[in-house]
Amino acid sequence: MFSPLPMKHVLLQVMTEDLPQVSLTLAELAVFSPDYRPIHDEQFPTIPGQRFREIYNQACSRLEKISKHVSLSSQIRLKTIHVISERELEKTNNWLGKVWARCSAFEETFHRLTDEEHMIQQLEEALDNFSELNLDLSLLQGEKLFLDIHVGIIPRANVTQLKEAVGLADYLIFPYMEHGENAHVIVVGPKGERQEELGSVLDTAGFNPLPIPPELHAEPEKVQSELQARRGRLAKERQKESEGMASCANELRGELELARGVLVMAEPFVRVDTAARSAGQLSIVSGWIPARDLRRTKKALGKRLKNPFHIDSRSPTAEERPLVPSYMPKNRLMAPFATLVKQYGVPRYGEVDPTLIFALSFIAMFGMMFGDVGHGLTIMAVGWLARRRLKSFTCFAVCIGISATVFGVLYGSIFGYEELFHAVWIPPLSNPLYMLSVALMWGIGFLLLITLISIYNRMVLSEFHQAIFDSNGMVSIALYLSALGGLYNLYHNGEFGLPAATVSIGALLTLFGYKLVEIKAPPGERLLVALIETFETITGYVSNTLSFLRVAAFSLNHVALAIAVFTLVEMITSAHGRVLMVVFGNIFILILEGAIVTIQALRLEYYEGFSRFYSGDGQEFKPLKLETGDNA
Amino acid sequence: MPASASDSYLNTRTTLMSSQLLDSAGVEALVDRTLDQLGRDFQLDQLVAGLPPEADLGRVLERTLIQVLMQELSVLLRPLDGPARNILIHWARKYELFNLKAIIRGKLQGLHFDLIKENLHDLPPLITLPHEQLLRTENIQELLRQLETGPYSDIARQARQVYEERNEPFSLDATLDQRYYMSLLRRVRRAQPTDRVSLHRLIGELIDQQNLNWLIRYRFNYELSASETYYLLIPFGLHLHRDQLLKLVNMDNIQQLIESLPTKLATALEGSVSPMEVEQALQTETTKQIRRCLQYEKSVVSRTFAYLVLREIDLKKLFAIIQGKALNLDQALIRTAAGAKESDLAPETTGNSDHV
Repeated sequence: MFSPLPMKHVLLQVMTEDLPQVSLTLAELAVFSPDYRPIHDEQFPTIPGQRFREIYNQACSRLEKISKHVSLSSQIRLKTIHVISERELEKTNNWLGKVWARCSAFEETFHRLTDEEHMIQQLEEALDNFSELNLDLSLLQGEKLFLDIHVGIIPRANVTQLKEAVGLADYLIFPYMEHGENAHVIVVGPKGERQEELGSVLDTAGFNPLPIPPELHAEPEKVQSELQARRGRLAKERQKESEGMASCANELRGELELARGVLVMAEPFVRVDTAARSAGQLSIVSGWIPARDLRRTKKALGKRLKNPFHIDSRSPTAEERPLVPSYMPKNRLMAPFATLVKQYGVPRYGEVDPTLIFALSFIAMFGMMFGDVGHGLTIMAVGWLARRRLKSFTCFAVCIGISATVFGVLYGSIFGYEELFHAVWIPPLSNPLYMLSVALMWGIGFLLLITLISIYNRMVLSEFHQAIFDSNGMVSIALYLSALGGLYNLYHNGEFGLPAATVSIGALLTLFGYKLVEIKAPPGERLLVALIETFETITGYVSNTLSFLRVAAFSLNHVALAIAVFTLVEMITSAHGRVLMVVFGNIFILILEGAIVTIQALRLEYYEGFSRFYSGDGQEFKPLKLETGDNA
Repeated sequence: MPASASDSYLNTRTTLMSSQLLDSAGVEALVDRTLDQLGRDFQLDQLVAGLPPEADLGRVLERTLIQVLMQELSVLLRPLDGPARNILIHWARKYELFNLKAIIRGKLQGLHFDLIKENLHDLPPLITLPHEQLLRTENIQELLRQLETGPYSDIARQARQVYEERNEPFSLDATLDQRYYMSLLRRVRRAQPTDRVSLHRLIGELIDQQNLNWLIRYRFNYELSASETYYLLIPFGLHLHRDQLLKLVNMDNIQQLIESLPTKLATALEGSVSPMEVEQALQTETTKQIRRCLQYEKSVVSRTFAYLVLREIDLKKLFAIIQGKALNLDQALIRTAAGAKESDLAPETTGNSDHV
């Protein structure tokens, strides 16, 4: 519960032909995380399945592209789970290749249709423009004896340079209309040797010719209706292609889902990747398995493999610890808090998993800052009603709602009314200094707990020096506690006290001395850095402790906001207006202050808490498994 | 970070980094060093210790050196935001354009996925395209369809047309290059007024160099027409504007071309006969001007830009030297490839720059 599950490093020795079956079995068990380090690479130089992997990647890419055209169900049902041979995978890949070629042809056709529609639109606009010009269009049409004329569209950005470029070939360009990013132009020049040269420049400039219909001048209506007819034909063609695509999708859907199943079953062997190595007939697979699942794994492999196999297992070495995946079994209640912890990082193997501590302290701090029975019950009700949307975070909403309700009872507050029932503990505004002292005590307790966890984590990682002397080590705790004791004495008795002063100075000097030894730099720089780091340790404790005053500050703020709402209510004369003011005022408090308090509680957890003891750079346990969408 | 702090940070970083730039003597010294020494000096020990086969050497080496450049770029980008950041990022996009061209060419030639992939540069996510997705396309039309949905949509539309009508990658490459510089200039126009003039000058130098190289290649090697050549140039250089370019594309040979250049460029190219000589002389002249910018320019962004350009040139020289040594080429040949003789023309160095 407080740390990731114990793991074993396993080295499986199997016959090479059994490797796909081994991968599949391990994926079915979902307890094996591959170790991709080059272990025994000299004895086992070959990484098997390279071609298999290549085919698989291509097939996946094809399926992904196809699934943009053919919708597949989100759940993958595997009828029979079996080992996928390279031949079967290749067959599936080839089939997917053919399906993709069909889909790609549809895509290309749609692309062409869009271009043609665009072209018709451009032509219509050009013709509208021509009809307004006092120009004999017959001059632009057909072959001319002395003139080479082109009418078309080019990207607007290319006009100036093209104008100058064609000028070199004795041509002229007249832009007569601009539309979007395109310009409509007429290119005119003398017929002759340079025609070919012009064609080449126009192609490079992205010139798209616009064919001027010969009837335009004489019978513009006919041209218009012809363009309409072309548009209609294109729409029909698009419709036909869409229907073709849909029927193709319906025809292929079943087979595509089967092909997807094949890929799901092929994936484990692909994911094993360099964790499997072979030398001829013999292969090894290395990885991590939770110690509790080792026996189950041996049993399952014994059942499935036709050839003999051998498993060596051992506990991780001290050097390997940073590489060992951290496996924290899922707990429905803790899931939302685990997600928030993961935002900061994954615990290192062996480190304390902070999820439970995070959950309890977060819930408590939220309640302390947002204590109100009415608001707490509202959060719970909204969380429950929105459970389909919130999913695992429903539990989060309910928990913080309960906490706010409990603290509401302690503070005697319901929707900001403090006179409806008597506070079990204290209404925050009745004694702000007391509230601040409580928050300070809470902060000190929280920091002490966090520092103790930090010491434990260091010990687990065999970092004994750091556990004792580091900024969050035993010496620091001694300094922190003695300074607190001294300040307490100073406040009550007027003097710091010799024992507290002795321990404080001793701890301070020890910290400074350790830093002097630890820092690798020239003497001057070493002294300066050690001084700064020691000073930083002290200021860190002071600022982190004072940071917890916000817990009390927000509990006071909550009451103050309620007072503000009720002041406004008193200013309203109408009864309906008063009710509305109370309702909207409470909604305002719930949304605005609720969000702020959540952020502040998170901030205290992350910055004052996690940064002290939680490296968050662990490896998440990602076992081989059959990715069926529901992880069934 | 406040502007003044970020400027100071960038200025200091640029100055510190520019101390590693190679002056002429430095290049000479590199040519005389052994492969192992070069590996140690440039943290390429692993690469040098296990040199890949001859066929892969160039690619592996180039990839390693580009990574060095990209790492430095990411450090220099840290304090920057807005137009200045966009300019530096866009400059680095040229490597992405290499990749894009390689993918398009590979697809046109029907090359295998892995073969194309091997030729691509590993670039930071900031500038890279979704290569895997593009490589998984099964023909050029599909590739162009994919590109039409991304940041290269305008180029892709034009590319489709060029491909459909010409079915060859050259025009596409030329269009991509031209678009790249035009976009760079557009970004410079949006830069802070304090940076704009010097950046214009700097990029103008680069465009002049590029324009002349392209002009010679298109006109005299590929024998394109004057009009098409002009269309593929960028009429926004520092010394070579529209009028000069319109005149230059009509020249019949390199000699005539050099004589028609503005005095400064004509002097720099004096005596060059072949396209390669012109290219080298231009490189020397541009390097000289960029070094000057790095030394004396007040705009921090321009200095940083200048540093990156010079560093890229240096890494290319280093590439030539290591490759030459790995292939056991003659010292003189390596020296020529690394442009070691450039020293005579570029006496100024940045190694001892006192500009902070």
